[in-house]
Amino acid sequence: MKVVAVTACTTGIAHTYMAAEQLEKTAQALGHEIKVETQGAMGIENELSDADIAAAQGVIFAADIEVERRERFDHVRVLEVPLQEAIKNPKGVFAKLGA
Amino acid sequence: MLEALKKLRRHLLTGVSYAIPFIACGGIMIAIAIAFVPIGPTGPDFSQAPRLKLLLDIGSTAFALMLPVLAGYISYSIAGKPGLVAGFIGGYLSGQVKAGFLGALLAGLLAGWIVSLLKKVPVSKYLKPIMPILVIPIVSSLFIGVIMLEVIGVPIAHLMSAASHLLQSMSTGNSVVLAMLLGAMIAFDMGGPINKTAFFFGAAMIGEGNLRIMGACAAAICTPPLGMGLATLLRKALWTEEEHEAGLAALAMGMIGITEGAIPFAASDPLRVIPCIVLGSMTASTIAMMAGVGDHAPHGGPIVLPAVEHRVAYVIAILVGTIVTAVAVNLVKALTRRAPATGEVQ
Repeated sequence: MKVVAVTACTTGIAHTYMAAEQLEKTAQALGHEIKVETQGAMGIENELSDADIAAAQGVIFAADIEVERRERFDHVRVLEVPLQEAIKNPKGVFAKLGA
Repeated sequence: MLEALKKLRRHLLTGVSYAIPFIACGGIMIAIAIAFVPIGPTGPDFSQAPRLKLLLDIGSTAFALMLPVLAGYISYSIAGKPGLVAGFIGGYLSGQVKAGFLGALLAGLLAGWIVSLLKKVPVSKYLKPIMPILVIPIVSSLFIGVIMLEVIGVPIAHLMSAASHLLQSMSTGNSVVLAMLLGAMIAFDMGGPINKTAFFFGAAMIGEGNLRIMGACAAAICTPPLGMGLATLLRKALWTEEEHEAGLAALAMGMIGITEGAIPFAASDPLRVIPCIVLGSMTASTIAMMAGVGDHAPHGGPIVLPAVEHRVAYVIAILVGTIVTAVAVNLVKALTRRAPATGEVQ
């Protein structure tokens, strides 16, 4: 299935990207298609477009802080998990998504 | 209740995430500037170093902006874009009324709260376009401005003058009790009004020939950032990788006597961090006072060592205070470690 995710941590220089990498790797292993937007100290990177969000069957927020431009997700169901969980147990995150 | 606290923490962390570059940038520039000028009888002497003075001024600007950014983005996290104005104003005023970073945290939360209430006010569709750019910013700024200037600022000014009277009356009494009080004040708000009251009292006493008050303050000033930095090194598993990085920056700022280096830790976890840094600073100031440490310069931390009398005792006071802070905070963190949080579908 198609999945989109947003990762964000407090300092925004390490964990944001570690979580993104874990989610991407795990998605590939499970045979899903994923696009991950990172909201680190550099701001929004690999931004999710409205089309990306509309096409996704699953949306994951792995964030310790408020997700920026959240209004893009107003009309979709979002699975919110602590950032650490995406790093330590990405398979569990996908299991929660029902994927 | 737990859910509400988690949300609150998330808003605080969002504000901290925007403020961190300001603290790091300002702290390091100020630290470099102070490290390379001679420490004179009135503190760091910049009269012969215009370039370093420039560096100090730029760094101080980053520090001054830290409070508006912290409060602004806490409010932004709660209320979105319309929350920025009131949050920035509240944070700026917190600096103006010397309410420090605790005042800025409060200002950010209040600003976000009032703006989210205002957003819910039903208005006719003709008024709607001007709500976010005119009505909400003006009403929320008036609210937060009045609170900061009239409600928070006035008692803080009274509190500061009352506290300095209290310190003055105690300066002839039991010096150990005075030292404990000074240490607690220095650590409690890390550069805020309580810290400044103790610091200015110590600085004023230098002029009257009593160097021991400043000696006690100088030891207490650096243990919060040094202690937090050491804590991240001692038990790596308790801290995230980012906190390890913040810990190294805190160590650098502690060496230079910048108490604000502990703010990233205290802002995201005040209830556990503040009591521990207070304990460590009290320990350091008490040891310094009992050993008769004197400080000629109105500044603290290992950097003022050349201006200190009884240098060995000063170093011991700082070391013990730092270790007490680090061990205490790691102990508290280990004992109250929460079970790994689980995600919920919203």
